[in-house]
Amino acid sequence: MNYAYWLANIPGIGNRTIQRLLAQAGSARELYFLEEKGLRALKGFGEKEIRAIVESRGKETEPAYQTMLAKGISFLSYEDDEYPEKLRNIPDAPYGLYIRGRLPENGKKTVAIVGARRCSEYGRAVARRLGEQLAKCGVCVISGLAAGIDSAGHRGALRGGGMTCAVLGCGVDLCYPVSNRELYYDVLEEGGIVSEYSPGTQPLPRFFPARNRIIAGLSDVVVVVEAKSRSGSLITADHALEQGREIYAVPGRMDDALSAGCNMLIRQGAGMIVSVEDFLKELSSGTFPGTCPDSFEKLLLEKEEYLVYSCVDLRPKTVEELLLETKLSMPELAAVLFALMRRGFITETFKNCYIRRL
Amino acid sequence: MYSIVSTAVLHGIGSIPVCVEADVSEGMPIFDMIGFLASEVREARERVRTALRNSGYRLPPSHVTINFTPADIRKSGSGFDLPVSAAVLAALGVIHQEALEGTFVTGEVGLNGRVQPVRGVFPMIAEAKERGLRRCVVPEENRREAYMVEGMTVYAVSCIREMVGLLNGDGGKDADGSFNIEGTCDVESEGAQAETLPDFSEISGQPFIRRACETAVSGMHNLLLTGPPGAGKTMMAMRIPSILPPLDHAEQMELSRLYSVSGLLAGRDTLIRERPFRAPHHTVTAQGLAGGGVHPKLGEISLAHKGVLFLDELPEFKKETLEVLRQPLEEKKVRLVRLLESCEYPADFMLVAAMNPCRCGYYPDVSRCRCTALSVERYLGKISRPLLDRIDICVMVPQLTFRELLEGGAEESSADIRRRVLEAQQRQKERYRNEIFSFNSQIPAAKIREYCGLNRKQESDMEEAYRKFELTARSYHRILKVARTLADMDGHRKILDRHLGEAVCYRSPEQKCFGNLWGGGGD
Repeated sequence: MNYAYWLANIPGIGNRTIQRLLAQAGSARELYFLEEKGLRALKGFGEKEIRAIVESRGKETEPAYQTMLAKGISFLSYEDDEYPEKLRNIPDAPYGLYIRGRLPENGKKTVAIVGARRCSEYGRAVARRLGEQLAKCGVCVISGLAAGIDSAGHRGALRGGGMTCAVLGCGVDLCYPVSNRELYYDVLEEGGIVSEYSPGTQPLPRFFPARNRIIAGLSDVVVVVEAKSRSGSLITADHALEQGREIYAVPGRMDDALSAGCNMLIRQGAGMIVSVEDFLKELSSGTFPGTCPDSFEKLLLEKEEYLVYSCVDLRPKTVEELLLETKLSMPELAAVLFALMRRGFITETFKNCYIRRL
Repeated sequence: MYSIVSTAVLHGIGSIPVCVEADVSEGMPIFDMIGFLASEVREARERVRTALRNSGYRLPPSHVTINFTPADIRKSGSGFDLPVSAAVLAALGVIHQEALEGTFVTGEVGLNGRVQPVRGVFPMIAEAKERGLRRCVVPEENRREAYMVEGMTVYAVSCIREMVGLLNGDGGKDADGSFNIEGTCDVESEGAQAETLPDFSEISGQPFIRRACETAVSGMHNLLLTGPPGAGKTMMAMRIPSILPPLDHAEQMELSRLYSVSGLLAGRDTLIRERPFRAPHHTVTAQGLAGGGVHPKLGEISLAHKGVLFLDELPEFKKETLEVLRQPLEEKKVRLVRLLESCEYPADFMLVAAMNPCRCGYYPDVSRCRCTALSVERYLGKISRPLLDRIDICVMVPQLTFRELLEGGAEESSADIRRRVLEAQQRQKERYRNEIFSFNSQIPAAKIREYCGLNRKQESDMEEAYRKFELTARSYHRILKVARTLADMDGHRKILDRHLGEAVCYRSPEQKCFGNLWGGGGD
């Protein structure tokens, strides 16, 4: 029987309580065989908690554990040797971890890419590119599978052919948000899905801040791409700070609400990502194996194409705006836009809104 | 004595001739009406008897039989009161029977003998004239409608006595004697139309959207305008009729018929001369849009015939309501089949739709939009694929910048744009003179290669685009058709690169709604 699984699944006994129990009882196995008298001798536990433990001993947990294994979900407890080293050392480390797929090996470098769910096109592009380049350097990208920056980070890593892991705020057998189902399976294939909540647990708002401590805990470096002030991404940054991780933020314009959180982090001393190349260099000079991504191909554009390309920004611009700025006629502009899009220099993010490709 | 009067029953947008026969003979004093009558026609018996008495005609106590022929067509509508009155009076010898020969009569009467207006006078009179009738008696209120039919002598009457007087040739014996006999079509007043229509010169800036509107009209492509609230989508749409080519006479006649049947022609001086612009509110029902009812009435799509049907706030329309548009958009007509009758109404309109990009309206401006990705997707997803497939041009109308607002000055007027539209349409008509269609938007898939051919390089460009933009065969064809229109506007026989590029710019959204939404950011 897996005693750790039993311990992690006692209703009413949370992560903190488990830690306090083990501090006195030693291990899950010892706790399981501890008589009621012995339990009551432990200090600092109420009647409710003791009742919960005693009652749970009567119930079989093994069938549920076996079904879970059969579904391809593995379980790791704090007591296991395979438990991720990075996570072991953080305060309030989760006792049990449910894993689909695999986690990065202990020596592997990991970077978390986090940020707003409702991000700008620019933020998405940055996250994707960071993810891709990091993956090419052999770094595992950790994030939360949420919409926006998280997804872009995962997608970038997948495109870069690297490993990526998602930490969920619900059971690992659920995909939240549902719209990311495709991404969920892609991540599963190239990496793993992790959660401290048992399979079948529905996502609740309070699970997500707790989930963020695991994202930070699994990573060597946390990168915040876009965050409003007082957002979930800043909670991740706080955890990272507490856990002694390096924090980097992508700077933004000062009146940009989506960058307010990032700019604040930079002011508080977080590392600034001025360019992806620069960031990678900085990482490799420290703890990272040094590989630099190949530089971009030089732009070889014709005169008009260059004119339009230089007007297209990282903020989506409408055709109207481009017409005004370039002074081209509609057919001329459209032909150039079409050519630039075909060649992948710009993308249409929304109907008739164009941005530069990073 | 026997008498017979010509009248007609409305059917669809036309009419079916009906004769009202009256026979007054000795026997039981009965007033009988036969001939497959609807209840409103059966009620005519009481109205006519009372109205005749109140008009001062005494009905003798004899057997009166009224018959409506042909007997196998259901007679409905309120226009039979006056023909029945005329037939009875003729049978009684009050009206000379010869006065009723070649005369068409329609109208409703009140108990006091006053004649009330009816629907559909214009098509009934027009068809009566085609059948060889030369004179008509219509209610005073419908006088103008009847005048629109050239070559018809119109007796517009306000009471039964007046009808008797006119038919018997006593002239108007009313005290004022002011009623008009034998009117003709009013003098065509050309200037009236231009003043009333909103003009494109009133809109400042937004060259992109102007161009899109012009393109849409040139090839009769359906148009979808999307953009934040207050960007001017409705203003643009309202000005589209002003750049459509003017209606020719046949079209004017057809439209006037439609409007007459719907009772919308009363009080007008002339035929319908301007293109209709119908903008039903989004609470409209499927029947209201397509037409319907036990006796099918015209819907908004038919009232927008030869003009513009504007659907503002497209996602707010009920899904079932929008789906009824699919068939009329293809066939340019709608066939309504009901228990009692079936009829076909024309519905050859240009669809112009407007919508916000999301519930709050500001997407993709993330700093102002408060919607979640899911709600944006859901909002855009309310418009079904098959409907989008029928919209060739889709553009984003951005908010007017302050600079445009300031610099906004003398903009091109609708008349100038219309001139170019006419040229472009003329080129299409010439090219398609041997085809059943006449506009680029109507090119069937089988003829795309023939009319929208591309050269090698363009084909390879489009192949690249096909993959990159995840186009479907349908949307690829739409791009080619719009490119053809752009070439026509340019006066080019071949589609050039710039036409293709612009057409790609106007293409309507693919499966992924409008582009990469939040979360779905893969490319």
